[in-house]
Amino acid sequence: MLVSWDWLKQYVALDMDREELENRLAMSGLNHEGSEPVGNDIAIDLEVTSNRPDCLGHIGVAREIAVLYNQALTLPSPQPDTSGPDVNANFSVSITAPELCPRYTARIIRGVSIEDSPPWMQDQLRTVFLPINRDWKPINNVADITNYVLMEAGQPLHAFDLGKLAGGQIIVRAAEQGEQFAAIDHREYVLQPEMCVIADGAKSIAIAGVMGGAETEVSEQTVDVLIESADFTAMSIRATSRALNLQSPSSYRFERALDPAGVDWASQRCCELILEHCGGTLDAGVIEAGKSTWQAEPVVLRLSQIERILGIKIDTEEVRSILIALGNAESASTAESITVIPPSWRRDLTRECDLLEEIARIHGYEKIPEDVGVPMAASFRSDEDRVAEVIRSTLTATGFDEALTGSVVPLAWTDQFNPWTTATPLRTISPMLLGADALRTSLTPSLLEVRRINQSLANPAVELFETAKIYLPQAEGLPQEQKTIGLTSSGDFYHLKGVIESLLAKLKITTPLSVADAGEEFDGLLDNQQRCTLLLGDERLGFLGQVSKPGLKAFSLKTAANVAELKMDLLVSLATLIPQHQDLSAFPAISRDLNVVLQESVRWDQLQATVEQAAGEALEVLGYQETYRAPDQDGANTKRVLFNVKFRRADATMTGEEADAIRDAIVQAIAANHNGKLLGV
Amino acid sequence: MALQDFLDQLDELGTAAESAFGDAADTETLEAARVTFLGAKKGRLKSIQQQMGSIEREDKPMAGKAFNATKGRIEAAFEAAQQRSNNTDSDSVANAQFDASLPGATFRCGNVHPITQTIEELKEIMGRLGFSIVDGPEIEDDWHNFVALNIPDDHPARDPLENFYLATAAASSGAKDPVGLLLRSQTSTVQIRVMEKTAPPIRIISLGRVYRPDTADATHYPMFHQIEGLMIDTNVSLADLKSVLRLFATSYLGDDVTIRFRPSFFPFTEPSVEADYYWNGQWVEFGGAGMVDPNVLKAVGYDPEEVTGFAFGLGVERLCMRRHGVTDIREFYKNDVRFLAQF
Repeated sequence: MLVSWDWLKQYVALDMDREELENRLAMSGLNHEGSEPVGNDIAIDLEVTSNRPDCLGHIGVAREIAVLYNQALTLPSPQPDTSGPDVNANFSVSITAPELCPRYTARIIRGVSIEDSPPWMQDQLRTVFLPINRDWKPINNVADITNYVLMEAGQPLHAFDLGKLAGGQIIVRAAEQGEQFAAIDHREYVLQPEMCVIADGAKSIAIAGVMGGAETEVSEQTVDVLIESADFTAMSIRATSRALNLQSPSSYRFERALDPAGVDWASQRCCELILEHCGGTLDAGVIEAGKSTWQAEPVVLRLSQIERILGIKIDTEEVRSILIALGNAESASTAESITVIPPSWRRDLTRECDLLEEIARIHGYEKIPEDVGVPMAASFRSDEDRVAEVIRSTLTATGFDEALTGSVVPLAWTDQFNPWTTATPLRTISPMLLGADALRTSLTPSLLEVRRINQSLANPAVELFETAKIYLPQAEGLPQEQKTIGLTSSGDFYHLKGVIESLLAKLKITTPLSVADAGEEFDGLLDNQQRCTLLLGDERLGFLGQVSKPGLKAFSLKTAANVAELKMDLLVSLATLIPQHQDLSAFPAISRDLNVVLQESVRWDQLQATVEQAAGEALEVLGYQETYRAPDQDGANTKRVLFNVKFRRADATMTGEEADAIRDAIVQAIAANHNGKLLGV
Repeated sequence: MALQDFLDQLDELGTAAESAFGDAADTETLEAARVTFLGAKKGRLKSIQQQMGSIEREDKPMAGKAFNATKGRIEAAFEAAQQRSNNTDSDSVANAQFDASLPGATFRCGNVHPITQTIEELKEIMGRLGFSIVDGPEIEDDWHNFVALNIPDDHPARDPLENFYLATAAASSGAKDPVGLLLRSQTSTVQIRVMEKTAPPIRIISLGRVYRPDTADATHYPMFHQIEGLMIDTNVSLADLKSVLRLFATSYLGDDVTIRFRPSFFPFTEPSVEADYYWNGQWVEFGGAGMVDPNVLKAVGYDPEEVTGFAFGLGVERLCMRRHGVTDIREFYKNDVRFLAQF
């Protein structure tokens, strides 16, 4: 809201320093956005919150100043002469859409002469309109007066050329589907039934509260004018203004709860100024259709609440004088409370807490202390937070950067790769970023997109992880938001698997990690061979795999990448956050290396199970070393697996003979379970 | 064999051995040199000794003396080399080749995202002030995002253009059916969820991603992070709010700061304020705050006559940008690893 310094002076003495006033207004609720000279005047830009439409006119701002500086407020009290015939005799207004327009009033002035508005008015209007529209020019005396009253009282008005209105009537109705309208900006608008229009006996003449029509606007030929002052429904105006992308000072104000008393006041003020500056005679009375349903209700302020909510004591007389200065009428009071009836321009004051805010902001928030002793309280760190920290520290230590990527992705990504759900993803009605309207069901595509971006920047090492939610639709209710860790690495399958194993070790997860075949749901993005489902115990932890060639192509990636996703809540439930001490054996360990020849089909996890079972308690470490193949010596479809075992006893030094015996047991078990044999035996 | 030839050979051998032992850079080369010159069976010293038999009798004392001198010379060279080798780490290069200024073998360490770093710092500070961290859904219903937060049906904050409402897509037509859910536009939703199932007193911080349809530019992004605090007890006032925010800002900035309130308007607080802190000679916007609106307390089943409370909310990106001098919010979501490595 731009206000003119000269204009404000009409209502309140401005003998204070302007910058001091601007600061004071900012500290009491009208945030100062800036000031600039316009001609010999100053335009002051004040931010008005949506609960204070009373400050969308100069009078409201002047009232705030008067209260803050304890000054008198001088307001016009319009009493236009009504020398014409009864206005209701020749014209009628009807409202057929009361849900869009509860109240509509009209006054008629006949025989006006259309000229330029007076220079002082042009100057003041220029101050408040030129800074936001550099092409702004005064129009004519009638149009300028309606704008002047708009900026004075905050009540929008419209002047119609009465001679162009057909049928001696105005009908306030809902627009027809697809109705066309030529507005005052000389553009055509297509209307919808949710929009309110003003029509004459023949057709629509204005989009209610938003913009008038070109045909009925006041021009140099105009002789008689009809002044509209009405109350339109805020939601309807907002929807119309948005739908037509048509914002005007009028629509901006109608979107807020305007002063019901302002409708008639502004109409009379406008007529008074027209009679004064344009001549003519005002028809007697007013055409009224509908009525305002708003009624001021008394509000009780219990004085005890001041200290309870604001944390300070304020003298009761000061409280009373603040409330009254703001326009409240004291209706009943006791030693413990003050009851007031708020003014019609403050429809936001309906509850005790609203009055407390008024007292606080006028008394001054700077008087509230910032050093009271807030009692201490214990705070708790969630397991998830603790686990998240271990994840971050481990993954950054293993060379991974943390990425943050958007929750909403292109639908093509969720179509291509949907590892966690078979349900179709949820969509946002409007896209978040260009083409992105699907709530992601996997972190992998987002991370591959980040790989692509880094590839285009020629960044050599791209090791990334992200901890974020994916959104898995449920049959009903809120979707399941699954906190997931996504990983992508330039390293191979076993590198990324090793990173995951290190993470599990850091989280002290003792539940064994195992792998299972990954299903068809991975076909879109992952290699057919190098991929697996990861399990912790019987629970699915996630997946790991190499991005397939078509997958790389889909994200324009030139080099190989491996990806994985892990379910966070499973890690949280299995992590050991308070590890317990175990007695350590003081006796030396003894190691044996084994090199066994096995059928290609024997997997490491099978061999591992056999070794662990055969070795028993003494086995401290089973370390895989390598696999190689010598088909000439061992036969087709065979492999040699090298591994190391380390034994230790808790109660005594293990002898070489004992170690050899365990090793022999392992070899026998491998022979029995897998038909494998120790190399060279 | 002529004596002179023998003496020449001895001299040559001594020089060659000194050179070989002197050049031996590691224990392996040294050992090889030792075998070559001092080897008990086939060493060159041994083989030259065997030639002594062919020296004329009268020359033998002279030859023997010269042999012993050369033997001593070679053994001394070997011992010196061995000594030197013991002083150096095994298998290391010779001193002459060692260059301490060569770069070390670095580890690649990753970086925590600057937004996460900021969040963790804020969480840690608020934890010290007795606020526990809570989490809640990002996809919300009408009740938690609006109704319980005292945002009425006709409030502009509910406008479809101000929110990401959700839909299911009809596969064939591409038309979308609204499902009555939206991506939360503020983390206050979590406060409602906590209050609904917890009796006062409450002291919590909720934080996470929030979503508003802004066109992405240097200062706007349709997804960002918010941190919100809530304190409810029998006797919480605006003075408590101001004091907690001052402690918060002082802890974050590392120096004593002062807090200023400017009146503002939020549906879920009354009174509502904008909080600023004074830092480096100017007032800096901190965030929105206020006393929890009685309608919010009632919506979660609290009695506003029994308890009061304050709430505040801060934009994480803005704090992070100011702290680290980031000028374009979009950098946070581009994830250029060179950008990430700066923090």
